[in-house]
Amino acid sequence: MLKSRTFVKKTRKGGVVKVVQEHYLRDDVWCGVIGCSSCNTTQAVLDPQCLNVQSNLCPKSHFIIPDTNVVCKQIDILEENCIKHAIFLQTVLQEVKHLSASTYRRIRDAIANPEKKFYVFSNEHHKKTYIERGKDESPNDRNDRAIRVAAKWYQKHMQDNCFQTDIVLLTNDVENKEKAVQDNLTTYTMYEYVMALTDSPELMDKLSGDFEDDEKNQIVFAEYLPLSKIQSAIKAGRLIQGTFQSSRDNYKEGFVRVHGEEQDIFIKDLDSINRAIQDDVVAVEMLPKQEWTKPSGLVCRDVENNENDNAETAGLENTAREEKLENYIADALPSGKVVGIIKRNWRPYCGILLPNPNPNARRFLFRAADRRIPRIRILTRQSSNLLGQRIIVSVDAWQRKRRYPEGHFVRRLGPIGDKETESEVLLIEHNVPYQQFSQAVLNDLPTLPWEITDDDAKQREDLRHLTICSIDPPGCTDIDDALHLTALENGNYEVGVHIADVSHFIRPGTAIDIEAANRGTTVYLAEKRIDMVPELLSSNLCSLRSNVDRFAFSCIWELSPDADVIAARFTKSIIKSQAAFTYAEAQLIIDDKQRNDDIAISLRSLNVLAQALNKKRLDQGALSLASPEIRFQVDSETHDPLELVKKELRETNSLVEEFMLLANITVAERIYEIFPQCALLRRHPSPPLSNFDILLKSAAVKNIQLQVDSAKMLSTSLAQADLQDNPYFNTLLRILVTRCMMQAVYFCSGTLAYQDYCHYGLATPIYTHFTSPIRRYSDIIVHRLLAISIGADKTYPDLMKKDKVQELCNHLNFRHKMAQYAQRSSVSLYAQLFFRNRVTKEEGYILFVRKNAIQVLIPKYGIENTIFLRSADGSELPFIHDEQNLSLTYQDITLQVFDRVLVEIAVEHNEIQGSKIRLQLLEPQVCSFSV
Amino acid sequence: MEIISPEGLRIDGRRPEEIRRFNCRLGVLSRADGSAYLEQGNTKALASINGPHQAGDKAKIKHDRVHINFQYSMATFSTNERRNRPKGDKRSIDISQLMREIFQSAILTDLYPKSQIDIHVQILQADGGNYSACINAATLALMDAGVPMKDFICSCTASLVDSKTIIDVNNSEELHFSNPLLTLAILPTSEEIILCQMKSRLHADHLEDILKAGIKGCKDIYEIMHREVLNHVREAAAVMNAT
Amino acid sequence: MTIFHSCRGHGTYLQDNKLKASVAGFVEKVGKLICVKPVKSRYNGEVGDVVVGIITEVGQRRWKVDTYSRLDSLLMLSAVNLPGGELRRRSEKDELMMRQHLTEGDLISAEVQSVHGDGSLALHTRSLKYGKLIQGTLVTVAPALIKRCKTHFHNLECGASIILGNNGYIWISPLLKEDAENQTTKSDTSTLEREIVARLRNCIMALAERQMLLYDTSITYTYEASLNYQVSQHKK
Repeated sequence: MLKSRTFVKKTRKGGVVKVVQEHYLRDDVWCGVIGCSSCNTTQAVLDPQCLNVQSNLCPKSHFIIPDTNVVCKQIDILEENCIKHAIFLQTVLQEVKHLSASTYRRIRDAIANPEKKFYVFSNEHHKKTYIERGKDESPNDRNDRAIRVAAKWYQKHMQDNCFQTDIVLLTNDVENKEKAVQDNLTTYTMYEYVMALTDSPELMDKLSGDFEDDEKNQIVFAEYLPLSKIQSAIKAGRLIQGTFQSSRDNYKEGFVRVHGEEQDIFIKDLDSINRAIQDDVVAVEMLPKQEWTKPSGLVCRDVENNENDNAETAGLENTAREEKLENYIADALPSGKVVGIIKRNWRPYCGILLPNPNPNARRFLFRAADRRIPRIRILTRQSSNLLGQRIIVSVDAWQRKRRYPEGHFVRRLGPIGDKETESEVLLIEHNVPYQQFSQAVLNDLPTLPWEITDDDAKQREDLRHLTICSIDPPGCTDIDDALHLTALENGNYEVGVHIADVSHFIRPGTAIDIEAANRGTTVYLAEKRIDMVPELLSSNLCSLRSNVDRFAFSCIWELSPDADVIAARFTKSIIKSQAAFTYAEAQLIIDDKQRNDDIAISLRSLNVLAQALNKKRLDQGALSLASPEIRFQVDSETHDPLELVKKELRETNSLVEEFMLLANITVAERIYEIFPQCALLRRHPSPPLSNFDILLKSAAVKNIQLQVDSAKMLSTSLAQADLQDNPYFNTLLRILVTRCMMQAVYFCSGTLAYQDYCHYGLATPIYTHFTSPIRRYSDIIVHRLLAISIGADKTYPDLMKKDKVQELCNHLNFRHKMAQYAQRSSVSLYAQLFFRNRVTKEEGYILFVRKNAIQVLIPKYGIENTIFLRSADGSELPFIHDEQNLSLTYQDITLQVFDRVLVEIAVEHNEIQGSKIRLQLLEPQVCSFSV
Repeated sequence: MEIISPEGLRIDGRRPEEIRRFNCRLGVLSRADGSAYLEQGNTKALASINGPHQAGDKAKIKHDRVHINFQYSMATFSTNERRNRPKGDKRSIDISQLMREIFQSAILTDLYPKSQIDIHVQILQADGGNYSACINAATLALMDAGVPMKDFICSCTASLVDSKTIIDVNNSEELHFSNPLLTLAILPTSEEIILCQMKSRLHADHLEDILKAGIKGCKDIYEIMHREVLNHVREAAAVMNAT
Repeated sequence: MTIFHSCRGHGTYLQDNKLKASVAGFVEKVGKLICVKPVKSRYNGEVGDVVVGIITEVGQRRWKVDTYSRLDSLLMLSAVNLPGGELRRRSEKDELMMRQHLTEGDLISAEVQSVHGDGSLALHTRSLKYGKLIQGTLVTVAPALIKRCKTHFHNLECGASIILGNNGYIWISPLLKEDAENQTTKSDTSTLEREIVARLRNCIMALAERQMLLYDTSITYTYEASLNYQVSQHKK
């Protein structure tokens, strides 16, 4: 059964230590070919009869064996549907894993897809295919040899078992190919193989190119230091490791975020950025102090110059000259330059192809939708099909002599400006999993008609007799909370919050659970929502609709008339909601003095209690912040936006909110008490005071002093801040305060000290999310924890592991952030569609003042946009920027922060970039500038 | 790092419920009353028995049973980085104490009142499952010394990785501290559990699985140990009969 | 190894009414009595056995003797032949003189007189055969290798005497001269005698190595076979 071989490897851990590990060679590693008589494969996937691709080179049926380089570079092609029946060697996968975690994940996903018929052959543990490294052989050569030996074994194995199937080794390495040919192996480069595929010529574009070195190009960028040198230099402190963040405003500037440091390192120009792309992990060398600069304050977009090398270098020189002008800067930021890349974090980017004036050109520039990504050069023969389309492109390399990185085409999404396409773009760009639920997930759903069994009823408290109702926004189908109130004899109230019991349907470890965990949250776009759980659950079985029996997780308090919590308990229950109201309906019932039925009375009492709760919260220093939120009324047929509606706030909103907060806090306390190490909580760190700088400066302009030392002081001083002539001023301030805040995040209780649990915005020492399990995965976890704490459920290991929970938290935080961004992008996309055919005049307020632009918010539509202060012919106007007063002055016109302006909203249409909203300043009128 | 690959192989090529290569030999030291050398993969242990003999220390003489003196040590060269103290550190002392109790439960101690049995086990190379190897080696050495015991004591480790149980955990797998590590010792015929030691946290729901896997590992090891002891006796018998 | 309705002998124990082996070894059946004899174990003394032992401690009216058994054996002052007369009372003076007679590290040959309840042995040397051993060499082998014979004292033809202790301790010494009674005067041993003793020792070691039973014949044969090799050819 076991054969053993030991091998020796050296690892670095302080010094060099010799590690001896066992390495068992087996004779039960099977080939994975269907119908193989000598192997005992249980999961054979490779079909020897299958002729999967039409190829000039390999007309017979064949299996391909890609080598490491091919997997890493050509993953896009391997993911294509027409590439099937491939054998992945363990050697290859191990190398891929080492080189790129993301590629490894992708190839593993592809292998897991039964459609692809990919098979992993554990050649390193196979008796006949294991080889030992020769004396003078480098590890790379050894691995190449291992790949050849395995391919050879397969070849022989196929012959021995009378299969007519060829084994084709794919390698781009010339030497390896030669040796393979000597071994009588059928070997092609990826290029040859793909070229010969007759039925899918579009694959060509996806080939990651080998790049010819153009001699004529002079060197544009400095060379990177080798990785070994970087590592030792980082250890020695000469270099700093960090993540590169390109500036959103100016493509020539960026920051490097250093882990654990508050201050980012400023990277001032393209030379210093040195080919780093957004999110790359880079090594930075600090510049001497006298060379430190600060962001220019300019808003700069890359100009669309094509293959013109002169222009490129000229552009670089320009920036250099600009920098020299400002030789001494008072409040300079620590600046540095990128000298090496530790890890690229490239991903496929959405964007558009820029037209090339030369009609026969094959090289094109690609512009990503994310403006922090530089232009990417790609090679394509189907440019005519791609122009005007949203496409996805992957980056392959960025050479020193190139102004732009090289990439290849991956996929076409659809025409620019098309609603569906644009929605898809923003989903992809924000990494939102939006595919249909897989069959495996759907199989986990309960079968209809779903009925409550006696067993269920036994384990749950029957609360169907209570007068429970739900209050939600209009059109809401995923109702995850409902309320009830009963007056008790002692004058107190029994108040219950009933939350949809999603964790009853989503059991840990099932396909549906894994999928929900991955999605993390439901994403609400302007016209649709991307569900976290399949619709059957979200809109039916879990949704607490009226007049049907539903499972709920109830949190029931006894509250005094002053809304003090006397007692709280939790129970799994069965409820029957009496009514599902919208906020407006509920408000009407409260206000309608004629109505005196059960529901009306309890709603009114709830309202009173909620106001008491709200007051208590505000007294403790909870902030009430503002953000301009708008919604679209969408045509149900065409999905075109019909009308912009601002979210209205009613008492009932706050009613529901207060009880949800109370439920969340009560649950947080409970699960923390039971699981001090692994409770999933939510915290909102108090922002560092430096975050308020801009706010304070802006407020000071209007002679308002804000106290930001604590949440309480902030909320009091905010309440007092008002300007006579500007009724919107307070809201503006609150909007700005919102931007000073930190992100609230999920975390695992075991990873932080108790005092760090606090939620700044809500001014509560502990908080979690419990009330929306239909749309948030965090709530499902909290439900599970709570269920265990009352003995209604069992634990599973990952739930009890601190690091696993924290890992999940990090993932959920990421998904939530992305969902928010996607939501915002979706709103602005619809705003654009809304204004497409109209020109509107509206008043707005200046939020920020830049050197050459102002940022204006239009409260009515929640639109925020930058207005470049250019004259009609495009030249910049000589505005004088007063940094102290945050104003721009030109002649007799002064634009200051918080000023009211009148703007014209229109959609500017541009062939290349698609359309975007454009604001024009109407008032105050700037001559030759405003229309 | 993947401890179990999606193909179902562990880092060293074993399947989850396979033990490592197990080699053992009895009677390797001529001057000891009993001795055994054992290899569990790359974990190598040498055990020697002295006694039963007159208890040296008067205080340790027990009038109704034998006194067991257990010494666990690790050779300075046994780990990747050289150890400073081969024995006498807190861990070794704790382990020795634990082992003493384990063997007290299997040796028929009441047969040898007032005497003492010294068991010395040295780990020559440590590659995971040191305590298991120590227990197994000591058992074999006791067999060799002809010390009467209720049964073999067979030991094996087990762990839970991504809800899959693995047995006979090696060093590279042990290094994942977050995974629970169960060291189990049983009397194989009665499946009586003599030692059940757990590192890290494991939820009670999974205890049964991991115990089951551990017991299977112990029994696999028992098979080999039993075979080896029988071989040893047979060899001796062959020689005896020849003369 | 489960046998019903049998008597429990050495090396077995009862569990759930089943007889089980507690050691690894050979099964011996004597009628209903079933024993399991381990391959290797410490010496299990029986009354009448000849043993060779080492004095480890001098105590009150007794010596403690290491006989490779589980516990120290006892040699009572009353169980030794004292100079001058067979049957005289041990006086307090004798107690004080014990160390002169036998002291720590001395080797003796003796016979097992009785076995105590805890398994320890009582020895006696009340025969001229037994007593202190000088001028010779001790070899230790596993007790099981000593064949039980009528006599364990042998004067070999090769010119040496040998005591095969049942406990695995073997004493080899040159043949006693005529005036053997006067042991103390025997001071020098010739090179030839030493060579014979050394050769015998090696023969016994070689036999023990191969797990061969030791008795006079096997030793003599081995000795004779070894004569083909010179001392210079021997390997330690």
